[in-house]
Amino acid sequence: MIDVAILEEPIKEVLTIKNYINGEWVESESEKILDVVNPATQKVLAKVPVSTSRELDEAVKAAREAFERWRETPPLARARCLFRLKELLEEHFEELSRIQTMEHGKTIDESRGETRRGIENVEVATGIPSLMQGYLSEDIAVGMDEFAYRQPIGVFGIIAPFNFPFMVPLWFAPYAIATGNCIIIKPSSEVPISQSKLAELAEEAGIPPGVWNVINGGREVVSAMLEHPDIDGICFVGSTPTGRFIYKKCGETGKRVIAQCGAKNFLLVMPDAVLDRTIAACMTSFYGNTGQRCLSGANLVIVGEGLNEHEFNAFYDKVVKAFVEAASKIRVGYGLDERVQMGPLRDKEKKQRLVSYIEKGISEGAKLMLDGRNVKLIGDWPHDAFLNPTVFTEVTPDMFIGREELFGPVASIMRARNFDEAIEMIHSNPYGNASSIFTQSGKWAREFVYRVKTGGVGINVGIVAPMAFFPFPGKKQSFFGVLHGQRESIDFFTDRKVVIQRWF
Amino acid sequence: MELITASAIVSYTTKIEDDLAKFYDNLAKKYPEAKEVFLSFAKENRSNKTSVERTYYGIISDKLEACFVKTLNTDDYSINMELAENASYTDALKKALEVEEKTQRFLQDAAESTKALVPDVSWVLTRMGKKRGDRINKLKSLLEKAGR
Repeated sequence: MIDVAILEEPIKEVLTIKNYINGEWVESESEKILDVVNPATQKVLAKVPVSTSRELDEAVKAAREAFERWRETPPLARARCLFRLKELLEEHFEELSRIQTMEHGKTIDESRGETRRGIENVEVATGIPSLMQGYLSEDIAVGMDEFAYRQPIGVFGIIAPFNFPFMVPLWFAPYAIATGNCIIIKPSSEVPISQSKLAELAEEAGIPPGVWNVINGGREVVSAMLEHPDIDGICFVGSTPTGRFIYKKCGETGKRVIAQCGAKNFLLVMPDAVLDRTIAACMTSFYGNTGQRCLSGANLVIVGEGLNEHEFNAFYDKVVKAFVEAASKIRVGYGLDERVQMGPLRDKEKKQRLVSYIEKGISEGAKLMLDGRNVKLIGDWPHDAFLNPTVFTEVTPDMFIGREELFGPVASIMRARNFDEAIEMIHSNPYGNASSIFTQSGKWAREFVYRVKTGGVGINVGIVAPMAFFPFPGKKQSFFGVLHGQRESIDFFTDRKVVIQRWF
Repeated sequence: MELITASAIVSYTTKIEDDLAKFYDNLAKKYPEAKEVFLSFAKENRSNKTSVERTYYGIISDKLEACFVKTLNTDDYSINMELAENASYTDALKKALEVEEKTQRFLQDAAESTKALVPDVSWVLTRMGKKRGDRINKLKSLLEKAGR
């Protein structure tokens, strides 16, 4: 008899997370130590230090010194380090994925997807010898030539969120070091284990001491990064208030910044949408990663374009019924169990916050069609961080749950009489990360792409997650900066030098 | 047990292929009449396993949504590969045929269920299912010869 079992956990004992500075694994001097807890089992996985600004300073010094040598290393040689890193990541693919499930809670399919996405950024960055080439014009005047080329800048800080513990630093790190810069990663203290493992592999790949550093910590480390005169730029992914603060601070201290922030993503369902495929895409959009991604669907807008009132009501009911039915079938549990389609929230505080949002939705008059507070799990796990899929209908854009980022498995279903009204709903929201339309009409799809003010746009796609060779876009309150992560960050991590020459 | 995630389908498929490889290795030892055929089947099972895993791990990147495949139930495909110690060559062929027909049905259903969300995996499963047809024909022809 063949059966599918819960996958083996790669973390067997409580780990002590250290900082990685100048190629050395250093125990923090801090007395403040936090527990890293598996949100599904509530078992402690690791102890992580809340490092001090002095330790950050040490890492910056190491990075600054390493920069002078690393920038002179030929791009091809830097790329070879990344090729080795890529091989090591493939070798440790499953271990890395299971660590993410253990520290974050996401399902094993989701973790493997995250690992693959991270590796893809390393792959793209290996093309740096050609990606960072300059250009030249001969004879701009008689006997004169002009050329532009890129130079690395120095040291960059990468401040990572909890929701993609492995992948997000890789939106930046491979490009930063491939272009000749040095980095200091500050993982989220809630999920520091996969970054620790990644740094181990970077070391094994032969990335020289001081080029890749990891400092674990919280606000003190972030503040020190923002103030430090030897840090040239900051890459941040996280909440909008923090991103706005970082952007402002970096403006004051003259640092470059990429701040990818919060979101409230709208998905439009037009009357001609292919319903079963739309609902499947919506399930992953709203409930994938337990709704904890900046590309998650938040508001499902059912659009009555071209329908009379009676037809619109029937269409609305049909979509709602299919959505609620599908959401109610999602199996929730520990992500290392292959029968599980949705894991827990990252921690019990996040669950409590979501529960309070659900209560707010009820008090504002939205109709609770599926109540995720009634936790039902596959397996006997503590309920602390678990919330089942939740669905509200009759939500309006001005309600709290229709307006603010909830960051959890809560869907708000809205009505729009027509396409224009739906677009207006999206534009009235302060965020602009992504939006999608489900339709078989090229006309509406084109109109949507043309008009909608969001950085990412999906046509019959629920999660507009750009590949590594595209920028990770965002508009309005979802993004602060000019250049975005992934491939576009090559511009971010380099300065262009323009040379005009003539020889007497 | 229900198979409702891409990971579960891939695990189940690779376990079937593993178990079948061992099954045919044993048959090759016990029944020299078709040793070469059984060994070639075992080799193909191992290659199938690699192929499914490689495809899944290679494409999972753009399919974060892979966990919402349609439901399959292992009860519908449960495969008993045990063969009595004193089973004849004909009994062995009959057992192999039964196992292969069930496996083929699983592969076809798994391919259909993963089609929308992990199409590359679906394609590999479809190809494996089609090749199972050749294997079934081969086993039938061996059975016919053995019966003469």
